[in-house]
Formats: sequence, structure tokens, C-alpha cells
Amino acid sequence: MNILTSNGKKGLPCIPAWFLPDPISLLNMLFTWIFLSITAVSAVPVQAAETDHLSMVNCNIHEHACTRELLNSKVTLDISPKPVKAMTDLLFRLTLTGKQPAAAPYIDLGMPGMKMGPNQVSLQARSKGVYEGSGIIVRCPSGKRIWKAAVVLPGIGIAEFIFNVIY
Amino acid sequence: MSSIETLYLVFIGTGFAVGFGHCVGMCGPIVVSFSLHLESKRVLISNLLYHFGRVMTYAVLGGVVGITGSFVRVTAGIAVLQKAVMIFTGLMIVVMGLSMGGWLSLGRIFGDHYNPDGIITRGFGKMSGARSTAAYLPLGLLLGLLPCGPVYTVLITAARAGMDIQPPFKAFLTGVGLMVSFGLGTIPALLLVASLTKMNWLRSRNVIYKIGSVLMIAVGIYFVIKGIQY
Repeated sequence: MNILTSNGKKGLPCIPAWFLPDPISLLNMLFTWIFLSITAVSAVPVQAAETDHLSMVNCNIHEHACTRELLNSKVTLDISPKPVKAMTDLLFRLTLTGKQPAAAPYIDLGMPGMKMGPNQVSLQARSKGVYEGSGIIVRCPSGKRIWKAAVVLPGIGIAEFIFNVIY
Repeated sequence: MSSIETLYLVFIGTGFAVGFGHCVGMCGPIVVSFSLHLESKRVLISNLLYHFGRVMTYAVLGGVVGITGSFVRVTAGIAVLQKAVMIFTGLMIVVMGLSMGGWLSLGRIFGDHYNPDGIITRGFGKMSGARSTAAYLPLGLLLGLLPCGPVYTVLITAARAGMDIQPPFKAFLTGVGLMVSFGLGTIPALLLVASLTKMNWLRSRNVIYKIGSVLMIAVGIYFVIKGIQY
């Protein structure tokens, strides 16, 4: 049984009318809950993607150089100064043992799962099997810090180094 | 065709690809916020003015980086300004979301829902309807400073080109050209996103509008938080 209150709104027995939210407040609450639900549901895959990228990290570049094996060649990448920070001038040093590339190698810098535009580091030979070049890792405003250096060795292949960068 | 002219074409293509692969996610919420606030017939011209302003800022940044040949120094110099712009953008999106949801009167500076008694409206009281469309140009100029990974990447190329090219004025023009090429390339994706808001079925549904308002507020808060952390 509904009762009419002093302001003309319908109330329920034993529940004072001022306790009942008006329809607009109810609608606002409803949309807030819908939004929170959507956010929660969409946050799960975003978090999962972040976790995936974190699991891809295969190099602790802040501590030491990292090495990959590629077709009987050993590819060692080092970046200095350490720790490796974004938006600063960095020196990339590549050391190859075994088969040497058919042309000058270079490094493609990018983020896993996010297009950042072409950012290549050209490498010049310093001595046999040793190449150096300067480059910059940029900062992503999203706050993601996992970067990939794909070392392209013409005639041999590509060695990927995935690491964290300090912002 | 010289190597620099080839680079211009490469960066138009880069802008196009990055536009669909990156900008739609990162900057899409900004253009959606503006566009949902406008009458359908004003969406295109307002967005074009916004993008023109944004590309102008890119051009200036490209020119400065080209002539100095230093990416790190220039970006370090504008870092605080970028942080402020990011926070400002977030607050603006929150205000637009509140206004679109009917919780706050924004006035006609960035929208068509004019309420002469609104607090913000009084502050911009002298802005006419025609000038409110024109307001998207300075807005684009300002938001061109938003921190952005792909923009940084192109600026690095402009800096490298600047180191190799003489005289300095030519280096300046090369930096401008590279950034304009990239900026132009990003426009189609963002215009496409903005044009989606012109769909009548979307505008006629109050429920979607309300959800959009709440999402805008959330995106604005995200921008503010990221701006503070930047």
C-alpha cells in the first residue's frame, strides 16, 4: 500500500518519504554502477595485457648487457648510461660473435602492443663485431614502461630485447 | 625525389598508421568530448580548426628541434608546460562531461548549450556563437603540446635531420615539414572518430548520452592523474 507524503511523493508504509531517493538520484546511481561495472570488466583485459607484456621482459638492461643467440651468432646489446632512462641521450652498443651481418645493423625501438612511430638507431662499426649508435627512448604518457629493442641484422635475422625503462 | 622529400611522405604515412593505431585510443576521447558537445553541423569545422591548431604547434616544435638539433633539450624545456596542458585537458574533459550530463552549465565557449546565468558562461560572456567555433583553433594550439610518444618519435627524426642540414633556416623548415606531414597524417583517424558523434541515433538517446558523460568524466580524471604523474 502506498501513502502520499507532504510533498506529494508516494512512499511506502514504515519508510519515511525523505529516506527514498528521487528518480533522478536513482538514475544517477544506476549510471554510476553501470559505469563502474563497465570499467571493472574492461580493466581485466587491460591488466591482463600489461601482465602479458611484463612476462615478455627478457633483459635487465639496468644491471648488465643482454645476450641472444641467433643462427650461430651471439648478439649482445648494452645501453648506457645506466639506469636506462627515457628522454635522454643513450648509447647503444652491439657486440656480435660468429656470423657477421651482410650490411650495417640497426635497432628498431618500440613498445610491445603500442604503435609509437619509427624510431631507429643507426649503428656504426667501431671494430670487428662491435657497433655503436646513439638514440633516445621516448616517454609514453600512458605510463607504460616496457620497451623493445629489435636488433636487425641483415642476412641473419632479428634479435629482440625487451626491458623496463625508467621514466 | 630527395631523401627529405621521401621522409615527408613516410611521415604522412606514419601519421596515418599511428592515427588509427595510437591516436584513436589516446586522443580519441578528447575529440569525442568536444564533438558530442557541438551541433552536428559544427562538428567538422570545429574539428578542422582544432587539428589545424594542433598541427601548427607540431610545426613550431619541429622547427625549434630542427634548428637546435636537440630533442632532449627542447623537450626538457617544455616538460612542465606539457604536464600543465595534460592536467588542463583532463579538467576540461571533466567539465565537459559534467556539462553534457546536465550537472554543470558550461556556456557556449566550447558548446551549444548556452546558459547565460552559468558561472563559466559569465566568464566568457562576450564570446559569440561564431567565436565559439573559432575557440577550437587556440584549443588545438594548446593541446598540440600534450605529451605524446609518436610526436616525440617524429621530433627525434627532426632533430637528427637538423644536425645534418645546413643552413639553420633549412633545418628549421625541414623540422616544420616533418611535423606537419606527421600531423596531417593523423587527422583522418581523429576526424573519423569525431564524425561518429554526428550520428543521430546516438544523439537522440539520452541513456547513451548519460553514459558518455560519465565515461568522459572518467577519461578526464585519467588525464589529470596521468598529468600529475608525468
